[in-house]
Amino acid sequence: ITNLLEPFYKAILVLLESCVILGGLVLVRISLSYLLLNADSAAVVQSLIYVGTINVVIVFAVMLINKLQSFRCSSTYSTIRDGIASAACTSLFHSLIVVILNTTWSEESLTNNIQRIGFHLLTDFSLPFELLSINLLVALVEAIAIAR
Amino acid sequence: MFGNELFPGALFFCIGTYAFITSRYMVKAFMWLELIFNAVNVNFVASSNYLGIQQIKGEIFSVLVIAIVAAEAAIALAIVLAINRNRKSIRIDEFDLLKW
Repeated sequence: ITNLLEPFYKAILVLLESCVILGGLVLVRISLSYLLLNADSAAVVQSLIYVGTINVVIVFAVMLINKLQSFRCSSTYSTIRDGIASAACTSLFHSLIVVILNTTWSEESLTNNIQRIGFHLLTDFSLPFELLSINLLVALVEAIAIAR
Repeated sequence: MFGNELFPGALFFCIGTYAFITSRYMVKAFMWLELIFNAVNVNFVASSNYLGIQQIKGEIFSVLVIAIVAAEAAIALAIVLAINRNRKSIRIDEFDLLKW
């Protein structure tokens, strides 16, 4: 009796071993942390748009590009470049931690709902909303025009 | 303390910028750019949660940032596919036609 689901299992294992699905898991983890911060709409938008569309578009791009045959060995400049970049980024992280720890924060917090988000989107943020919709339209048309 | 929610944002931002600078392929650099945008969003949402029920604008702005990032994802990967079609490689250091 053959297992009919065996290619399905193999497909899932290949997808898990490739590092692209890990990006989706990281974004789901960030979406869960939004739920802790009383931002339920941001969590849902993050899961739907980031994981659902952007991650899938990245998977499409990775699969459309052929596997790289030539892997040239890194030159001597790459280690110097990596060292300078790591030094700059760790100093940036250290300065950020020092700034966060040395500021005095006061205390107040409550809850929110989705009706107020819609209200603010249509009154206070109406201009960014309209510009954003035009921007998305132009971006999608341009993406189709380039990748045709 | 409020800074407990800002630490993951700062960590993601620094890791994302380091990996974005030192990545050799365009699609990999774009994936680390997504992590940078997520760090910024975490910062916005944490600040809007800290300032209370009246200030929901941080969460709204993070939704707008996600929409902008979606548009940028479409354009960036279309450009990467066009570059791959013309130059047959997606290494960043091989795309140096504009260098002197």
